[in-house]
Amino acid sequence: MADENAAGNPAGNPVARAGWREVAVRYGFIAITVALFVYFAGTEESFRQPSTLFSMLKFASVVAILGLGVTLTMVVGGLDLSVGAVAGMSVTISAMTMVIYAQVGGVAIALVLLAGALIGAVNALLIVVLKIPDLLATLASMFVVMGLKLVPVDGQSVSSGMTLRDGSLARGRFTPDFLAIDRAFLGPVPVPVVIVGVLAVATWFFLTRTRWGRLMYAVGANPEASRLAGVRVGRYRALAYVLCGVFAALGGLILASRIGQGDISAGNSLLLDAVAVALVGTSVLGLGKPNAWGTVLGAVLVGILITGLTIKGFPYYAQDIVKGLVLLLALLFSFTMSRRRSRYAPAAVI
Amino acid sequence: MKTPLARTRLAALAVLTLLLAACSQDLGPEPAPGASPSETAGVQAAKGPAPAPFDTGQPVKIALVQNSGAGDYFQQWTNGARQQASALKIDMQVYDAQADNARQATDMQTAIGSGVKAIIVDHGQSDTMCPLINDALDAGIAVVIYDVEISACAPKAVETAQNDADLARLILGKMATDVGKGQPVGYVNVLGIAPLDRRHAVWEKAVAENGWDQRFFVGKFTNAVATDNAQLVDAALKATPGISAIFAPYDELTKGTVSAVRQNGREGEIKIYGVDISAADIEIMTAPGSPWVATATTDPNAIGAAVVRTTALELAKALTSREVVFPGTLVTQEFLLEKQIKNLAELRKAIPELNMTTVSTADWIPVVSF
Repeated sequence: MADENAAGNPAGNPVARAGWREVAVRYGFIAITVALFVYFAGTEESFRQPSTLFSMLKFASVVAILGLGVTLTMVVGGLDLSVGAVAGMSVTISAMTMVIYAQVGGVAIALVLLAGALIGAVNALLIVVLKIPDLLATLASMFVVMGLKLVPVDGQSVSSGMTLRDGSLARGRFTPDFLAIDRAFLGPVPVPVVIVGVLAVATWFFLTRTRWGRLMYAVGANPEASRLAGVRVGRYRALAYVLCGVFAALGGLILASRIGQGDISAGNSLLLDAVAVALVGTSVLGLGKPNAWGTVLGAVLVGILITGLTIKGFPYYAQDIVKGLVLLLALLFSFTMSRRRSRYAPAAVI
Repeated sequence: MKTPLARTRLAALAVLTLLLAACSQDLGPEPAPGASPSETAGVQAAKGPAPAPFDTGQPVKIALVQNSGAGDYFQQWTNGARQQASALKIDMQVYDAQADNARQATDMQTAIGSGVKAIIVDHGQSDTMCPLINDALDAGIAVVIYDVEISACAPKAVETAQNDADLARLILGKMATDVGKGQPVGYVNVLGIAPLDRRHAVWEKAVAENGWDQRFFVGKFTNAVATDNAQLVDAALKATPGISAIFAPYDELTKGTVSAVRQNGREGEIKIYGVDISAADIEIMTAPGSPWVATATTDPNAIGAAVVRTTALELAKALTSREVVFPGTLVTQEFLLEKQIKNLAELRKAIPELNMTTVSTADWIPVVSF
């Protein structure tokens, strides 16, 4: 934040010719998002429906929450690859708690958040205490979590009325209050969108307005200098992974509420999307560093793109190509066009 | 130093290229133009005047919300649905969730809000889709589902499905005539998957009726069904001599069974009965000495088309039942060899009833066939 340069202060800018470039780097992404929205809304009647807008934001909400978790780990110079697996695990835990053990929704929520924090703590242990590089440690925990969640359910999706190991039937079900997490509205706004808003504000405030958050940026930018300045680097990195685990679990809760079943394949596709939106977020506003609003905007952009392309009738593989190109464009903004090179790219981690 | 090395590399490359050229496959004569396998539909013109809402000249908007549109089967299914929709002047929006159940839920919401008259739901989890199907019905949108278990939770939706019991009866009837009563048989299936469970029920009845002695029952569902089940069947075959027939009611299971039987050199002694067909399956069935003697199947193109016709009937309030099932057809190895059928296009030509042109139709519907 301190090294914000002079684009907002043209008089002091020695390279006036490069002004357009600064503008492109700062506002390019927001402009693209707005332009795409206007284009889809202008050409497709069904895109203009308010319900489409909401389902689009709901679609983006899970990716946004996981992306915020990834953002926190990127801030401390790491990357958590286990977010998708943790979200998937949350779906299975929710289903087991309510369907097999017939507990209320509140118990499921508590257990899921606890489990998310636990996986985050294990990641922190591997990375901070056992000194395994972030990417490798979380790659390993991703596989373990993906497999582990299938053990108590014998690799089967959990749904009401399924036959259990002892031959009896599962008599519980997803409770209505739990299902309401995804289906209910607060005023005109769907609850998942509200949750994303709250988390984004909290993350933004934490990262930029508290001592803890600012020190996390410092740790990510230069751990050695931070250590010499008396920062307990390990603690901040550990905190980032635990928070990331909790965020991933929260995303998983919304997913579970949306699917209404212990779907074992849930969460599989989320990791890449979450990392991608966090990376896209890095380039938003030309900050060149991971930040909460950028990540949320990245998720919204992906939501607009996917919904718009679907309505336009593009096949699924075209959507993947476009997603990849958007990421590439963001990286161009961050690395090529910006005069400030990002220090937070995960390639620098290993 | 550098130049001789580069020269050696170049020479090696040239030799390799020549070798590759020499190894290229002999593809036989080029197929005649026009005989190339085509999935473009022929359309049989409508005879009667169209009822509302098809009488306005405006295209009727519907949505297809798919759990997955990828893979041979679903691509053909979607192709059939698209062709029939365009013949009926239906503007069909396709949502493909790429096997992501949460995405299918948001797709369904988008579809409900998009102002369509009808929504087709193709596969999906009933727990996920049922509340949304009811939302759509409450919003006055007609819902036609294909192969989702919803009769209990959304009785007002129209349910369509491939008739699995009928498929199993067809193929097991053939097996009973071929091998006779009281024979030792093997069985490869995975329980817990709705269509396979329905086929299983028919199998149990057939075993009892024919006094078959089921010597083994193996099967599991994995990411590589054919390969993994080949191992299971291989082990089962080694443990059980003297089997006269095996039933494997899903083509990936059948393929695995075929390769296990061939590995053990028992293709002369064991006959295999399967379900489904694809171009690759035809090749396996017609290979010299193939133990896969018959299969029961439907054409996914025709099913996609029939589901769209069912939707059109529902919109015109001309559908008399809440449930429509699509009948299967028996295809034997003998027939494939006799007619020299090599792909699905030739198979459709030889067995026109695969097109199901009499299912879910009316005089105002231009029926497509493939």
